[in-house]
Amino acid sequence: MAKQEERQSSVFLKSLFCGAAGGFIWGIVSSIAYFFSFSEVSHASFILRTFFSGSWTEGWMGELISLCILTILAIIPALIYYLLFKQMHGIMPGILYGIGLWVIIFYFLNPLFYFVPPLNEMTMDTIVTTACQFVLYGVFVGYTISYEHHDRRIVPKSSQNEA
Amino acid sequence: MKNENNDLKLSPSIRKNRKVFEELLGIGVSFDVDYRTLKILEKEVDIYYITGLNDKDHVNVIIKELLELNEVEHAKSSKRKVHEVIENRIVNYQVEEMDKFYDANTQIMSGLIVIVVEGYEKAFAVDVRSYPGRSPSEPDTEKVVRGSRDGYTENIIVNTGLTRRRVRDDNLRFELLRIGERSRTDVAIAYIKDVADPGLVQQIRKKLEDVKVDGLSMSEKTLEEFIVDQKGNPFPLVRFTERPDVASAHLFEGHVIIIVDTSPSVIITPTTFFHHVQHAEEYRQSPTVGTFVRWVRFFAIFFSIFLLPLWLLFATHPELLPPDFSYIGPNEEGNIPIIVQILIADIGVEFMRIAAIHTPTAVSTAMGLIAAILIGEIAIKVGLFTPEIILYVAISAMGAYATPSYELSVANKLARLSIVLGTAFFGVPGLVIGFTLYILFLTKTISLNTPYFWPVIPFNARALYNIIFRLPVPLDKVRPSIVHPQDDKRNN
Repeated sequence: MAKQEERQSSVFLKSLFCGAAGGFIWGIVSSIAYFFSFSEVSHASFILRTFFSGSWTEGWMGELISLCILTILAIIPALIYYLLFKQMHGIMPGILYGIGLWVIIFYFLNPLFYFVPPLNEMTMDTIVTTACQFVLYGVFVGYTISYEHHDRRIVPKSSQNEA
Repeated sequence: MKNENNDLKLSPSIRKNRKVFEELLGIGVSFDVDYRTLKILEKEVDIYYITGLNDKDHVNVIIKELLELNEVEHAKSSKRKVHEVIENRIVNYQVEEMDKFYDANTQIMSGLIVIVVEGYEKAFAVDVRSYPGRSPSEPDTEKVVRGSRDGYTENIIVNTGLTRRRVRDDNLRFELLRIGERSRTDVAIAYIKDVADPGLVQQIRKKLEDVKVDGLSMSEKTLEEFIVDQKGNPFPLVRFTERPDVASAHLFEGHVIIIVDTSPSVIITPTTFFHHVQHAEEYRQSPTVGTFVRWVRFFAIFFSIFLLPLWLLFATHPELLPPDFSYIGPNEEGNIPIIVQILIADIGVEFMRIAAIHTPTAVSTAMGLIAAILIGEIAIKVGLFTPEIILYVAISAMGAYATPSYELSVANKLARLSIVLGTAFFGVPGLVIGFTLYILFLTKTISLNTPYFWPVIPFNARALYNIIFRLPVPLDKVRPSIVHPQDDKRNN
């Protein structure tokens, strides 16, 4: 029983860590997409440029600082996924979770970020690029948490290790 | 007809047995199957054989020894039965008794000799096999600069021997199965008993036992399609290797290996995407150099998929480029649209790859010349291609050749073509969605209950670190969790 609890706490910590790693990896992808103008916004537009002004928020320095903050912030969605959806299987819940996060941040919270243009003024490129980043983050976090939660098995009650 | 004979048993009458054997084996029809009758201790003894698959000298020694029985023993004075005397005299350490025609026939067809004694309702199968085949040589597809040069051959016995040479652990198991109603191919499941996941071994054993097929003509490839659920998935779901050192390294990690007779490639299960992007050479160099080689390889593989669509995007949408990169993109519009040029060039490279597989060496030099000069230079001069196209197609083709797994490089080529088409039609969204779908597809793929894109998704920090950096072997202390090893420490 104690072992079970130990495992659960390790899954919990792993979930938080994977949230941070997901923020870091897809944050880099977001910066690259911003650099090549696939998207008009990057994470720095939300985290830095809305609250601070100055040339340092623009260049790679701004992206780097913002990436550090994003890495920490990205733990929160992983925590929510762990608390609510860890029982799920497969990649579909992750995709939906990612889209859900995107809708919340780009639609409902949009007015909070003064530097980010409203949704109806965004280009199609921006919408698709950012949504894809959120989907990948959602799958990354969701699939990892459910895989760890189900004792590193994909199929529930798979035959492995039972024989 | 076939199934009726499966349970037919030998009888004590040697004449009856002879008739059945003649009928079943086609003795007198096939020229290479025959029997020799000896008279030993006043009993008739038949030796059934197939020429071409056994060691003639060895068979002659056995016959000589049996005939000498007539001089040293006397039929009447001997207290033992004749078949016991004969069995004791067979000069071989692998003698098996069998009472069914089906089993005896399989053994004869495998190259063993079967000895039938008058008055005894069992037959002796003696292993005097000597298969035509080559000796171990370095596999063409997995060369290293330094290190062992032996590779698996088409003979399963040689292959298990090569593996045992590297894994002397008495826990190494080779379970033998016979698959294929007509080919009756020997298949061995290899694993280390106290390391490999017994659930996985059982799963593989069950899948192999359930295989219903008449013959394994493409041996390990045919079998692979029964083990993993390939469907429309172009990615290689198992890894093949021809190197015994690679196979034994995977055995130590807790993988299960399937060896199929008649093929030098063995199957490594379970496999993830990242098993296909590693190479033995990385472990032959110092860890730092190995890491460097690995990173370069990762870039090559990434380029082989995404460089061409990315360039196409920048060529058609120059406004996306940051000012520093504005030189990218064709200076002048060609005579035909860029997407068509890319497709022609890319498929042209594919022509060459396909042609190179079966071109005789004598002609391949000429082929290289034609490919390089005609397709490269003349195509530009004629105005068919812009020079940049050749550059980027060549880089992505080289990236594909730098992919250690041949199967993966071809699958990536399909991915590249689809993403190129998506980019041509939809611009940025095409490329971004293509990238996303590529990753989601890899994530969704499951091979033998193993997530294919592990350790990226599902994320495993330690394993990912192990892939990004080639660790010094003394520091690499745990087995990868993906194989669910019973004992996850490498050295205790």
